[in-house]
Amino acid sequence: MHFYCGRILRVDLTEGRVSTEPLRTEWLERYIGGKGLFLRYLWEELVPGTDPLGPDSPIILATGPFAGTCVSTCSRLLVGFKSPITGTIVDSYVGGSYGSEMKYAGYDLIVIKGRAAEPVAVSIVDDDVLLVPASQAWGWTTSATERWVREWAGRDTRVLSIGPAGENLVPWACISTDQYHKAGRGGGGAVMGAKNLKAVSVRGTGGVSVPHIREFMADTQRMHREYLLVDAHMWAHTDGTPVLVDPVNGAGAMPTRNFSGGEFAGAGNINSEAFQRYRVRKRSCYQCVLSCRNYHVIDDVSCEGPEYETIALCGSNCGIDDIGALTRFHVACDELGMDTISTGAVVGLAMDLTERGVADYGVRFGDVEGYLAAPAAIASRSGIGEALALGTRVVAQRSGLPELAMQVKNLELPGYDPRGSFGMSLAYATSDRGACHMRAYPVSDEILSGLLAADTLKGKAQYVLNGQNSSSLRWTGIFCDFWFPDADQISQLMRHVWQRPVSADELMAVGERIWNLGRLLNLRERPAVEPDDLPAPLLERSLDNGPAAGNIISRVAFHEALQEYYELRGWSRDGVPGERKLKDLDVDVRLQPEREVA
Amino acid sequence: MARVSVDTRKCTGCHQCEIACSAWHEGQFRPSLARLRVEADPASGKVRAFACTQDRCGKCRDACPEGAIKTRSVPVKVSSGTIQCTVLVVEPDECTGCGVCVDVCPLKVIFLHPDTGKAVKCDLCDGEPQCVLACQNPLVQAVELRPDQPARVG
Repeated sequence: MHFYCGRILRVDLTEGRVSTEPLRTEWLERYIGGKGLFLRYLWEELVPGTDPLGPDSPIILATGPFAGTCVSTCSRLLVGFKSPITGTIVDSYVGGSYGSEMKYAGYDLIVIKGRAAEPVAVSIVDDDVLLVPASQAWGWTTSATERWVREWAGRDTRVLSIGPAGENLVPWACISTDQYHKAGRGGGGAVMGAKNLKAVSVRGTGGVSVPHIREFMADTQRMHREYLLVDAHMWAHTDGTPVLVDPVNGAGAMPTRNFSGGEFAGAGNINSEAFQRYRVRKRSCYQCVLSCRNYHVIDDVSCEGPEYETIALCGSNCGIDDIGALTRFHVACDELGMDTISTGAVVGLAMDLTERGVADYGVRFGDVEGYLAAPAAIASRSGIGEALALGTRVVAQRSGLPELAMQVKNLELPGYDPRGSFGMSLAYATSDRGACHMRAYPVSDEILSGLLAADTLKGKAQYVLNGQNSSSLRWTGIFCDFWFPDADQISQLMRHVWQRPVSADELMAVGERIWNLGRLLNLRERPAVEPDDLPAPLLERSLDNGPAAGNIISRVAFHEALQEYYELRGWSRDGVPGERKLKDLDVDVRLQPEREVA
Repeated sequence: MARVSVDTRKCTGCHQCEIACSAWHEGQFRPSLARLRVEADPASGKVRAFACTQDRCGKCRDACPEGAIKTRSVPVKVSSGTIQCTVLVVEPDECTGCGVCVDVCPLKVIFLHPDTGKAVKCDLCDGEPQCVLACQNPLVQAVELRPDQPARVG
């Protein structure tokens, strides 16, 4: 078939069995691919209440229709699972080359379940799928694991792997590919570790077919010229995400010293200009002409990144403006296989508690030595890591200051303090996986374009809703936010897929349908999934410094905006999608009616 | 006279050239059958690239026991107009799939097609090299049609 392989792979690690089956093509018009297809499969694959670290918990790798084609940014891979941190669904995205290679091997989706008795790697070469003993690699870093897999599977093999953090079930352990690309958030690495699954490698020699391929190529190249390789996006090539440091810090929204301040005095030492001094090379994800990845050599460390979120959470939030130390910390997290957002957040919290004298983790804001020792301690759960690996919420509770944990649904906040960008409060609270900047991004207009006032929630419910619907649509592709194609641009590509006229409105309905399906999945996991809320200080207290100091979101304003959001969504006051909305959107699943109490 | 050349200092390893090459020749996106090859090491970020140098090398043509690899002159479109280029083309009817050309190719950019068993290689896409068109980022432009140095006379 065109654009899709029409086939999925199933791996049962308990039984050591692999099988293939046809893709459920009847879902494609409703859900397209990527996020939509993942959620629809997860609805069938995940038994409500399943322990995320238990054998029955699935990991799903999903691609979109454009993976493996010439459409830029669409090599992205979705790694999906039920999160050990939040108990919610998590769809985590990663660039690199894995998504394209999976399609060349002939799989749109891979569903992995079970638990191997001993550490294993799954090796996929086209139709040949093997479970390879991986005990010798257990304990190895992500780069050593990739090198090891390439030795026996071949140089062109793409590898997903975990590091020691995933093996030790650190809740925010991530999944690594092409060494520096991470499916970062939500703890996919721990889900793999719990399955004794060290790596999944793939090599494909097949192809992806599309109708009228020469016309499709010409049309895609036109879109690249008109929409992608234009001034609005070239920052990703010339600077990359470190470009965000100056505007976000300038708006007073840069997390500083465990979210106590919004302006970091040392920002100039870790901004785009600072990193450009050490830049040696640009790299691309597979099939992407934008090429946003930056290689740096700083002191004796050579690496790709860090990206903005790492700079914010592991830099300013820890009071660190030493670019060499920050880069070292970033590389340590990459090698150990840990999300830098959650790692930076918990280290920042440990510094805060130590400074306050309520606990002693031996780390203080700006102290490079203790800071650099933290990642290894956390990944191995030794020393201070034994406590810190429990996450900000538990660490703060143990010290009697639960309000110091900056998390939503137990997932730590990324690099935007909502007091400097009010819309982010609603974006974090209503995200489908806890505090996340990748679902709706009011920063874009509250800070970057400056088109919207940052210190009000007025009008933000609609803004956040639109953002969530359109991100859900983009991640069917799976498009990257450095392109950020709108529904009209995506419709120009979907015409080739559906071989009929496609409207932007029709596609926005797909996005809304997907967001509602995600909501149903999370509601199905109640009561483990917590209500939409924010830590009290973010609503009630002002930042200590910076241009946003003095701004208070207020609990009343937040709850008004949340109710407005539910109403606009067609959801109940408790945030449950109404039957009418689900019917209008043609969502094809329903929650079981709650059992009546006799 | 010109050939496809990849500047590995500029190349960011997106593989669009291989993708486009396979689309043109294979009718599907199947870069494992691309007639040029880019290897991008994720650890170092470094890129290596291999593209046929046509008759500057000529080893495949010279080694072919059937004489199935021909020297042809084709007009090739470039930004400034059209230039005449020399390409080495495999004549499929004459190729027996013996693989001698594969063995002698220093860059491994000629190979036996898995479906037909016959040798395939870069032919500059009937005068519109798709790899060059696909290298779209104006700040990268690593794949280009590089004119050969004029042969020294005397």
